[in-house]
Amino acid sequence: MYGWHLRILRVNLTTHKVTTEDVDPKIARDYLGGRGWAIHYLYKEMDPMTDPLSPENKLIFATGPLTATPAPTGNRYMVVTKSPLTGALAHSNSGGEFPTWMKRTGFDMFIFEGKSPEPVYLFVNEDQVEVRSAAHVWGKDVHETTDILKAETSADARVACIGPAGENLALMAAIMNDKHRAAARSGVGAVMGSKNLKAVVAMGNKNPPLHDPEGMRALSVDTSKNVGADVKKGSNMRIYGTSYVPQVTNTLGILPTRNFLQGTFEHVNNIDGDALKNQYLIRHTPCYRCPLSCGRLTEVPDGKYKGKGEGPEYETISSLGTGCGVSDLAALLKANYLCNEYGMDTITTGMTIAAAMEMYEKGYIPESVIGQPLKFGDHDAMIEMIKLMAYMEGFGKDLAMGSYRLAEKYGHPEIAVTTRKQEFPGYDPRGSQGMGLLYATSNKGASHMEGDVAYEEVFGVPVKENPLTTEGKPELVKHFEDSFALMDSSGLCVFVAIRYAFNKDRMILPERLAEMMNLSTGAGYTPEEALKAAERVYNLERMFLLKAGSTEDTLPHRMLHEPLPDGPAKGKVVELDKMLPEFYKVRGWDEKGWPTKEKLMELGLPM
Amino acid sequence: MMIRVKLIANYREALPPEAKHGVVELDVPDGTTVYEAISRFDIPLNDESVIVLNGLTVDMNTPLVEGDMVTAFSAIAGG
Repeated sequence: MYGWHLRILRVNLTTHKVTTEDVDPKIARDYLGGRGWAIHYLYKEMDPMTDPLSPENKLIFATGPLTATPAPTGNRYMVVTKSPLTGALAHSNSGGEFPTWMKRTGFDMFIFEGKSPEPVYLFVNEDQVEVRSAAHVWGKDVHETTDILKAETSADARVACIGPAGENLALMAAIMNDKHRAAARSGVGAVMGSKNLKAVVAMGNKNPPLHDPEGMRALSVDTSKNVGADVKKGSNMRIYGTSYVPQVTNTLGILPTRNFLQGTFEHVNNIDGDALKNQYLIRHTPCYRCPLSCGRLTEVPDGKYKGKGEGPEYETISSLGTGCGVSDLAALLKANYLCNEYGMDTITTGMTIAAAMEMYEKGYIPESVIGQPLKFGDHDAMIEMIKLMAYMEGFGKDLAMGSYRLAEKYGHPEIAVTTRKQEFPGYDPRGSQGMGLLYATSNKGASHMEGDVAYEEVFGVPVKENPLTTEGKPELVKHFEDSFALMDSSGLCVFVAIRYAFNKDRMILPERLAEMMNLSTGAGYTPEEALKAAERVYNLERMFLLKAGSTEDTLPHRMLHEPLPDGPAKGKVVELDKMLPEFYKVRGWDEKGWPTKEKLMELGLPM
Repeated sequence: MMIRVKLIANYREALPPEAKHGVVELDVPDGTTVYEAISRFDIPLNDESVIVLNGLTVDMNTPLVEGDMVTAFSAIAGG
């Protein structure tokens, strides 16, 4: 076998014992890699009812068969574990450089078990694997930690680490790599913190051997040319990253504004991609081997929001920005930089503050509890709340539990806009019905990265679907979920892989993605087999979710009972009951949403 | 009648200099369709573009009425 190393590194943090294992080639093929391999191991080895912050939870870093290959954007890794935010599955994806460096250690996957008695970090340089003290970096932020660990190991190493938020077990803590990139969602950083694991430092020269290096090179050159042609045409992604998206979602009336009380933001021009480009953009910062280059280094050169870092992406603008009613771009950048330095998911951070703002304005949480006023649009208060959350100080202790627990604690659960206790990303599903079905059924709670049907409903990729209708959405959601499981398992970035998730007739049939996987691995997937493997992954994740007790596929009160008051989707709620039963049928699940015996047998999954 | 056209992100290069925040006002004859209005700008008129009327997905032959806003942007991976 090629493409995969077929080797796993297992680290027992309780004993600091490190072992290596081979992967069965049949398992490798059946579960693709990355996200797929990780759920196979998690499901096999761990009781889904495990307490997420206990030593019994496992934390898995997983690369795919296209990670560290010449495939453009073949540079992603997944963090898979049981989420302390949702109590369901977490699988969070990141790029940068760390994923390639991790795979060059000669291992596809790291599995962390137990809990270290004191803070440690893992250093891996091929077969030199050491669990080292992290006492000197515990308490330090992501930037400081990264600099110190690179200085004491090697400039050629790459670092994934947690900041204060992860150490303090804030439920929106991310795992940051290469300083600015985040495996952000579902509190994976808190799981790392609960294990006293501060960082993972990786390096090596073991590129995976390829089944057909020449074919891979040729296809990669062709793909890069294809992407390069878009870039030449003035690709939005190259110029703006995703910061152009607020104008799109505002036009459609689905831009989360003031905790989803509205779908349009009157100050959108202050915080959109053009404002960012004209005022604070320094240069593009691509992930390793990416021809698209959506990352951007920005700087607020002076004033009280002075700072420098990467971002913001759309999801940060729609949470810390419009979600909180914030229209001051410099303050928004500062909030983004702080989240990266403290190691926090900007979506859950922003939308939790947004929920607190609504509760403050409605008088549900008094100023005496918060310690200060907290109105929508108060960007200084927002920045202060971020600090309190990261360090679990004062009202920050409530905020650090996420909006679901916050709203419940103060007696108004209807304020939280979450599914499976995870905050919504930047698409109001009342004006994007397919996204509503996706959020309700996602294995990881509300997430656009679980099967982003906004590609069709919002962005017209590969074809434009009417976002306000429900017809055909169950099939669409299933296909997108499966194709995202394939992309996440492959090691490619969705931004490029999405182009190859469709065949020439724009049907969801990943011909080119399967071809890339074959050139790497020699596994000989047909496009249908690759998609079937992805469906296997999705269903196994579903089984984990259900056995973890997260059995209800629903949406929060606001989405089902409070019509949008403004914009093109005015008057709409999510018509979930029109889509959910059909979705279960399309998936081969029973009327309660459990995969049927027939479906499990068809996919070769355990009963 | 007066209508507005909004172009987003890289499509803004196709706008005249008087456009503000990507929006330009146009005086068009009665009966002008979405397609005819957007055809005045140098952007791809195929599935490379997403074109909406007042934020809604409509037939490109829909006739416009006073005050309508036609918005277009490049169809590409999102956020």
